[in-house]
Amino acid sequence: MIVDRSDEVPRLKWPRRFPVPRNLGVAVHSRIAEGKSWPAPEGATRIATLRIYRFDPDGMAGPRLDTFRVDLDDCGPMLLDALIWIKSRIDPTLTFRHSCREGVCGSCAMTIDGTNWTACTRAMADLAQPAMIFPLANLPVIKDLVPDQSHLFAQYEMIEPWLHAETPAPERERLQSPRERAALDGYYECILCFCCTSGCPSHWWNGDRFLGPATLLQAWRWLADSRDEGRGERLDALEDPFRLYRCHTILNCTRTCPRGLNPGRAIAEIKKKMIERQG
Amino acid sequence: MSHRRPKSPNMQNYRPQLTSVLSFGHRLSGVALSLGAFGLAGWLMAGASGQDAFGSAQALLLSVPGRIALFLVTLALFYHLCNGVRHLVWDSGRGFELRAIYAGGWTVVGTSLILALALWTWWPA
Amino acid sequence: MTIRHIPPFARARGLGAAGHGTAHWWAQRVSAAGLVPLVLWFALALAGGAAADHAKLVAWLAAPLNSGLMILLLMAGFHHAALGLQVLAEDYIHSGARFVAVAAIQLACFAGAVFGIASVLRVALMP
Repeated sequence: MIVDRSDEVPRLKWPRRFPVPRNLGVAVHSRIAEGKSWPAPEGATRIATLRIYRFDPDGMAGPRLDTFRVDLDDCGPMLLDALIWIKSRIDPTLTFRHSCREGVCGSCAMTIDGTNWTACTRAMADLAQPAMIFPLANLPVIKDLVPDQSHLFAQYEMIEPWLHAETPAPERERLQSPRERAALDGYYECILCFCCTSGCPSHWWNGDRFLGPATLLQAWRWLADSRDEGRGERLDALEDPFRLYRCHTILNCTRTCPRGLNPGRAIAEIKKKMIERQG
Repeated sequence: MSHRRPKSPNMQNYRPQLTSVLSFGHRLSGVALSLGAFGLAGWLMAGASGQDAFGSAQALLLSVPGRIALFLVTLALFYHLCNGVRHLVWDSGRGFELRAIYAGGWTVVGTSLILALALWTWWPA
Repeated sequence: MTIRHIPPFARARGLGAAGHGTAHWWAQRVSAAGLVPLVLWFALALAGGAAADHAKLVAWLAAPLNSGLMILLLMAGFHHAALGLQVLAEDYIHSGARFVAVAAIQLACFAGAVFGIASVLRVALMP
């Protein structure tokens, strides 16, 4: 019942999702239909069933849910291994992003059994049966498991994630004590996978204007950097009932970060800074 | 023809977790208490209108549906109070480790239930 | 149906930062902090039978401490409720109706507080 680390898989089998019809309140073009079902490979003894969201932008149909059966003795231990196995053995049209296969690039972030994580660090043994593999929540889908993150990156760009310094660059480094450098720990490690933002209910309802935990965590990364000289302007840009203050400390973000970071804490620190400059 | 890209599901697919469920409970109890606040103002107006009006108000509150409503409001009150304190702790910057979030969450659920039941067993009227 | 092609950066920027938001957030926390003891006092007083009948209610509110705390409870409570319901409206209503809803919430909560305070004073001053 008590979760210590974000990489702990939920233990309760129910509820995996709100017990409502899958297409309740969903726009017509986003409704998910039942898709194809592929048989288990011959001679396979250990089989895992994956139900994967599919969408073909070149076709006329809407999204569907395909069922694949993976031979666990024939592929690697992680979900990404299974997806690559499916693409090479069963259906070459299955489309997903992946790169480092070790949890440091953020490309393979997706909604796995109802929570966001990177596929390369989610073990097949930790999946439900059947596993539900969806693209990251609440994003336009380009194809299959590939979401359109251009709005999220535009929000990130808006907070100007680079050093604001009028002091000319010194001969060597801009100096920072070990303690000042430690203030960046827990924030600089963000890989911009957007698992947190995609899992934030406030971003679901107000994602147009609310920046979301990933962008706000990075905003704090720059606010906390002792070398940065633009703290005031950064806070001015966040002084808005929607950009920052749609955060109601729901904390789905901290629960789901595949890197174990804490966007909730970062946002609380930003709010404290906003108060600090008022009095 | 380019048709609109579908949107991946959010609430219909995402797992309800302690974090989001307790947060929604805080919101729901807040709405219930807002209605309760207007009820309180109405009850006070009945008190200011004399004995008869107040008697009717009390009779309404002590009827079966009235008691049920009052119990739910008490539950909402203590839940919102305990979780509100949890929120104030977060606002000070503390308690963001996952362990503290979960332990605090279960503590809030248990404490609010205990306080609501205690008030009602101690308040037989 | 026309599809509007808004460049992502324009969509993210929106109409710029409004320049306020912290005051609302702070007022919510301050009223919350004030409400913690006030609500506990109120719950315990009612459980102890302070308003079991009309005579007891009049006697209870005749004491300036009790009527004072009751007025504080109404003020802090309706202020906190107004702020909280405003957040609710901003979260869920995305059309221009949002502004109507926020205005209605502010007015209703202000009225509720005024009616409550007027009633407390009336009861407190009853012979």
